[in-house]
Amino acid sequence: MTQDERTAQDAAARLDARLGELPLEVAPRRDLWPDIAARIEERAQPVAATTRSPAWLWQVAAAVVLVAGSSLLTASLLDRNVLVQQSAVPAVQANAHAASDGAVVMPAAFGPAGQLDPEYVAARRQLTQLLDQRIAALPTSARAKLEFNLGEMRRAADEINAALAEQPGDPLLEELLLKTYQDELAMLSNISQLTSSLEKAPANMPANMPVSPNGERMQL
Amino acid sequence: MAYAGEVVDELQRVREAAEERRLVTSAADGSSAAFEQLYRRHAARIHALCLRMTGNVATAEDCTQEAFVQAWRNLPRFETRSAFGTWLHRIAVNVVLQQARRRAESLGAGDSVEREVADVLADHSTVDPGRSLDLETAIAGLPPGARHVLVLVGVYGHSHEEASQLLGIAVGTCKAQLHRARALLSARLGEAERNHDAG
Repeated sequence: MTQDERTAQDAAARLDARLGELPLEVAPRRDLWPDIAARIEERAQPVAATTRSPAWLWQVAAAVVLVAGSSLLTASLLDRNVLVQQSAVPAVQANAHAASDGAVVMPAAFGPAGQLDPEYVAARRQLTQLLDQRIAALPTSARAKLEFNLGEMRRAADEINAALAEQPGDPLLEELLLKTYQDELAMLSNISQLTSSLEKAPANMPANMPVSPNGERMQL
Repeated sequence: MAYAGEVVDELQRVREAAEERRLVTSAADGSSAAFEQLYRRHAARIHALCLRMTGNVATAEDCTQEAFVQAWRNLPRFETRSAFGTWLHRIAVNVVLQQARRRAESLGAGDSVEREVADVLADHSTVDPGRSLDLETAIAGLPPGARHVLVLVGVYGHSHEEASQLLGIAVGTCKAQLHRARALLSARLGEAERNHDAG
């Protein structure tokens, strides 16, 4: 080791020693508790809060739900009759029950304590119930793949929610969670379009072959 | 005697930990009185962290307040896998980073702000106040990225892995920022000492 390196090392050690002497506790100039108490008293119980995530998160989430919801509603009104006919097929019917009995609703929350607005939860539940029926009407292989993908997304959301329990307010985790919800809704919207097209497909087209929105056969 | 002293200290620590768990449980059930006690126990430590990370007295108070409010909101889901203080510390770091992003400000840019923060911190120093004031002033004057890493690693003893996770940066970046912070601090402290000698 050169003399310069030794000098630099000594200086770093002296600096670290000085940093180690700094006080780790410094009381605020004023008591912050009255302000904190005023903010937390706005809510009777910690779990009762409904606006715990930043406002922009709610706005974006609401916009996504509205877009997906409206397109689904349109698809539903257009294709209700065909859906009923298809669900009469015994094999599909049996699977339809299995699929609709399963919990398809993703835990609707932004973080562990970031419970969503009840209206949002209700709208989402309605949306997913509608899609349960549509998924149940799909051919077995397509349905299995979709359910697997949805399951993966929901598992991801669960994991992010759990991570947010450890790091509340983490902007990256919140962003990831929002992205997951958006992806899920986008997928649900695609399923709606897909099933709608399938129901309109010509009678001679194999039932297990999904079609794209423009009527062409496609692979999932 | 020394052994007996250690046993007493250990018993005290266990008692305090049990009391804290009780307070956390009560607060999670909605007791603001219990939460106030948790605030009294942890406010000074959280405030010192916020002061050093923001380099601004008013912002540090806002961040301290916000950290406790967020903790209150998230308490029902706190799973006690980590200590409450550690969990609160992480919340405070997130709050400071969010605040910095929101305001997109160059924290610690003004001399008067640096000096104000340094004065507050040096008042609590147990060693030579003059030397502490120089050091705190130099820390408050660091660029935000370097300051955040120095505070977490150099002052609060986090590993580079922990600090990089808290700050959302790569470990390599964390090490580079610490190196930069040390170099800047050494230069500024050297300058301050020369000024003292000249004065």
